[in-house]
Amino acid sequence: MNGCIVAFCCEHSAYPAADLAGKLRLHYPENIRVIRVPCAGRVDVIHILKALEKGAAAVLVLGCEDGACHHITGNTRAKERVKYCNMLLKEVQIDGRPVAMFNLSPNAPHKFVRAVNEVTKIIKESGR
Amino acid sequence: MIIAERKPMEEIKQAMAPYKKVLVAGCETCVAVCWAGGEKEVEILASQLRLARSAEGNEIVTLEATVERQCEKEMVEELKDKVAEVEAVLSLACGSGVQTMAELFEDKPVFPAVNTTFIGMPEKEGLWVEMCGACGDCFLDRTGGICPIVRCAKGLLNGPCGGTRRGGKCEIDPEKDCAWVLIYRRLEKQGRLDLMREYYSPKNFRAVKRPGRVQAAKA
Amino acid sequence: METKIGVFLCNCGGAINNIDFDATVKKVAKFPSVTCANLSSDLCLEKGKEKMISCIRGENIERVVVAACSPEFQEHIFREVLEKAGLNGHLLSMANIREQCSWTHDGDVTEKAVELVKMAVNRVRLLQPMEKKELPVNREVLVVGGGFSASNTALQLSRVGLRTTLLEKEAVLGDGTEEMESFYGFDTGSMISAVEVDKNIEVLTSAQMTEVGGKIGDFSVRIRQEGGEILRKYGAIVLATGHQTELALDSEPQLRAEDEAISGLNIVSQEQFCCMLGNSGLETEPKTIGFMFDFSDENSRFTTLATLNNALEAKKKWGSEIYVFYKSVKVDSAGMEKLYQEARDCGVVFLRSEVPPRITAENGRVKIEAKDVFLGEDVILACDVLVAEELYLPAEGAENLSSLLSIRRDSKGFFQDENVHLYPVGSEKKGIFFIGGCRGDLDLGRVLTDISSVVMKVHELLSSGKILVELEKVKADPQKCVACLTCIRVCPHGAIQLVRVDGSKEVAEISDLACDACGICAAICPAKAIKFQGYRDEEILAQIEAIQEL
Repeated sequence: MNGCIVAFCCEHSAYPAADLAGKLRLHYPENIRVIRVPCAGRVDVIHILKALEKGAAAVLVLGCEDGACHHITGNTRAKERVKYCNMLLKEVQIDGRPVAMFNLSPNAPHKFVRAVNEVTKIIKESGR
Repeated sequence: MIIAERKPMEEIKQAMAPYKKVLVAGCETCVAVCWAGGEKEVEILASQLRLARSAEGNEIVTLEATVERQCEKEMVEELKDKVAEVEAVLSLACGSGVQTMAELFEDKPVFPAVNTTFIGMPEKEGLWVEMCGACGDCFLDRTGGICPIVRCAKGLLNGPCGGTRRGGKCEIDPEKDCAWVLIYRRLEKQGRLDLMREYYSPKNFRAVKRPGRVQAAKA
Repeated sequence: METKIGVFLCNCGGAINNIDFDATVKKVAKFPSVTCANLSSDLCLEKGKEKMISCIRGENIERVVVAACSPEFQEHIFREVLEKAGLNGHLLSMANIREQCSWTHDGDVTEKAVELVKMAVNRVRLLQPMEKKELPVNREVLVVGGGFSASNTALQLSRVGLRTTLLEKEAVLGDGTEEMESFYGFDTGSMISAVEVDKNIEVLTSAQMTEVGGKIGDFSVRIRQEGGEILRKYGAIVLATGHQTELALDSEPQLRAEDEAISGLNIVSQEQFCCMLGNSGLETEPKTIGFMFDFSDENSRFTTLATLNNALEAKKKWGSEIYVFYKSVKVDSAGMEKLYQEARDCGVVFLRSEVPPRITAENGRVKIEAKDVFLGEDVILACDVLVAEELYLPAEGAENLSSLLSIRRDSKGFFQDENVHLYPVGSEKKGIFFIGGCRGDLDLGRVLTDISSVVMKVHELLSSGKILVELEKVKADPQKCVACLTCIRVCPHGAIQLVRVDGSKEVAEISDLACDACGICAAICPAKAIKFQGYRDEEILAQIEAIQEL
């Protein structure tokens, strides 16, 4: 399917937020595949690159809010890796596909939905 | 250990331009530890190349392999079958490793993907600094364990130069500590300040003929 | 590797109604290695679980995928089902086709559901079984501190059968509880007596920690007392070191009194004012009293409480005119709103100001000037006593403790909660907790909650003398590890150390007890030597492989 978003969701923040969105029957586009991780800090550059190679239109990493990472530095490291990944893509002139990090708390389902909607919009506008 | 840094992507892309099937080869020793050429970096570089070439409509097939030490003939030998399948090799090892690969597989062009920079150590996570200049005539005991050849911007053997900035910083690079201030302080702690009055004549760089050779005495 | 995977789908009693389960089961049954796929309507209920178990046994299934609700709820339940059926509980992967599929998308979501199942199948194919083991732990608890929080924690731990050492750096227990006593009306004396007679509590005074090593269940603590050092072992450490207050006038420039003559004036702290109130031999009762709080420090719950209590007390005792200068009154503790109302009803005047008042001297009295927000005019007050604003700070020694234990503190120096909402009393190191005033601005209600919370956690951890761990959940392969020390340096839980294996090689070893399974080490290892069961690179990449591949 076109325009697929691969989202790595941390089990302490984004994953429960996404679950809560489900419980509240908040709707967001179908084109997202969530991969559950124990901490955003587990996500490595190669995971993001392989997702893009597989054809993902965007790759997101979602972790805890700044200063509230259950494992202290996980979300900061994830942010750095996402930045590094964007640099790698820019180096080879493939920076059209969004690779981004979002921070949210487990009780913020609307933030999750907003992130998915925002990224879907960007994908549609870039014509993928 | 040897510290290396990945080359600019443009250079690597250009080098790989004529080829459709290459081996991306890493090394698990020095370059892995300084995050330049280990298994992870091999994976990432190969992925980057595939993505880039796919976007250009000029696919590249990449084989990936990492050996424990790319400067050991026996270990590099193990890559024989993979090398036979490809048109060229992109090596992420230090200069030693690149040359070992080139020597064993003379008919295949071997491209270096990293620049070998210096002998150094980690100062903190992700930051490696030069420590040793490999001059072949070590006198670290007389400088309190601090090498002025690489850590002094002017490489002075009889420093300081007199231009030391406030706070003990280097005249040339104000971000750096003046090596001779560090040496003084270290010798002071050891009660060996008399060494500061010793005069060291210029190093005999011919002590290390290039290329260097070291023959161990025992079998 | 050939294996037999069983896929169990559930429509959650009909709650999932926008997936064509017939088509899904048909498609899923064709996936490689899937030998059986079926649908239930009540997989998590007894009947559903029993059917699952007999199917696993009957079809010799080796790995299981459950496609139903979120793993956040039922994963552990289904792991138990696997164990009952004779499989290792870790050979399970769940596909969230309810909360993250059926319930959030319009229309038919069969296609996505099938893909989610495929992702789970790909992952489960690679999972490895994990053994569990009970590791023995030390049942003794170290409580650092000697005040209200520390003493009550020790008493409650004793009641649940755990022995505690109370480590107090001063010569006596109960230091710093006088204010709390007067506000909340409890008796420090009887609390200390209870502690002293309790057989399960050892009290060490004039004692301090000098070195801490080890991990949860097995901390080694070096304690220095007058006359020597002792080495002790504890299963858990609770910090209850409390707080201190400092007159804001001394440290906050915007509050600094402008006149030199200020030093001769009657500017006191809340504690000193308490003493004045309790002093029956006071020469002259102050006729006009000023209070100040909440200008420089947001942590003003405690000072608000102190101000209200003291103001009321002074009003009742001396009948003085009382003026309170504030930026905001925080009444978010139980009973505070009522107290505030009572103070106003008694005639205490509250004057709200946006900026800190100016304090000067005039004829030997304290002159306070501020612009009242509601009047829109400057208010000038000359008073006999000013109870100045106080900063609520962590007690002395917090910095030292923080580095001894390698746990972080927040920007004000209080022990940082790793996740304020879900884990209020735990530090980032398993087995080390902090409660009470050293955590920040708390009131008695919250302190009591902290105490109960930590007693429950410690009891849960240590009471059986054993902790069940998953063995080698995160492990550094000694063959691949080059001892670059990266993982040791980055582990947020201090769970990794360098050990010698095979007599000589040094490699990283991850403690099963202390590891909190975040995977940060696994991601950063330059040699890819660390394997995190369930989240290895291949297990993550296998899920990516399944996407868009139908």
